[in-house]
Amino acid sequence: MTNDIHSMVIASDYRVPDPSRVWPLLERNKTALADIGAHHVLVYTSTHDYGRVLVMIGVHSREPIVELLRSRVFFDWFDAAGVEDIPAVFAGEIIDRFVAEAQSPPGAPGVVVAAIASVDDVSTLSEEVRLAMDRFIAAGVRKTWVFQAFDDEHEVLILSEFPDEDGARHWIDHPDAAAQWMTRPGAGAYPPLFVGRIFDIMRIEP
Amino acid sequence: MFVCLCTGATSQMVADAVAAGASTTKDVALACGAGADCGRCRGTVRAILDSAATD
Repeated sequence: MTNDIHSMVIASDYRVPDPSRVWPLLERNKTALADIGAHHVLVYTSTHDYGRVLVMIGVHSREPIVELLRSRVFFDWFDAAGVEDIPAVFAGEIIDRFVAEAQSPPGAPGVVVAAIASVDDVSTLSEEVRLAMDRFIAAGVRKTWVFQAFDDEHEVLILSEFPDEDGARHWIDHPDAAAQWMTRPGAGAYPPLFVGRIFDIMRIEP
Repeated sequence: MFVCLCTGATSQMVADAVAAGASTTKDVALACGAGADCGRCRGTVRAILDSAATD
C-alpha cells in the first residue's frame, strides 16, 4: 500500500423497499462514512421507478479500493437499507466534465440520466463529446460528468443533467451520436439507464 | 464493476470465467471467487451469465 491519497467515486444503483429510509440511514452512518474517507454523498431517486436509487460517494482514501469495498460499512449499509442482493458497485474517478455556460434558471436542480457502460475508448469518447458540445447544449444537456472505472479502462459512469423530465426523455429516445454510452447499459452487471432527481447531498467533515 | 465485495471480483473477472466455460454461479465462484463467500452477489453473477447466454 502506498501513502498516496486516492480520490475516487463509489456508485451503486439499486432498489430499496422504502426510499425515504435512505437518507436517515446515511445520516446515522455519517461517522462510519467519515472513517473510510467519504467527503460527499449524493442520493438520487428515480423519477418513475419507485424504490430505485443511485447513491454516489466521494472518497479520499489511502486504502486500495478492494479493501474499502470489503469494509463493513457497505455491508452494514445494505443490511440497514433492506437490500438482500448486493448490487454491482462502480468505482472510479472523474476524468471530464462538460458544463453548458447558460443555465435557466441558474442552479435549479434538473433531471439526471445516468449510464454505466463499456465504451471503445474513453479518451476518444471525451473528445467526441467536446466536439459535440453545441449539439448537446441544443438538446438541453446542462452538464455531463464522465467517470472512468478503476477496474476496467473501457467502463464509464456518465451523468447528464437536463432542465426537466421531457428533455431527459427526448435525449433517451434520440441521443446524440457522440453519446455512445446511451445504447449500451442494461446488459450483464450494468444497470439499465437511471433517470432521477437529486434527493439530497451530504457533506462529511473529516 | 465490482461484483463481489467479499472477494473484490469484478464483472470482467466473471465475464472471463464465463468465457472460459463457467455456466453456473457455482462454476463462477470456483473460477474467480465471485459469490463464494456470503453469496449475496449471485443475482449479478446470474445477470452476467444470462447476458452471455443471449449474446
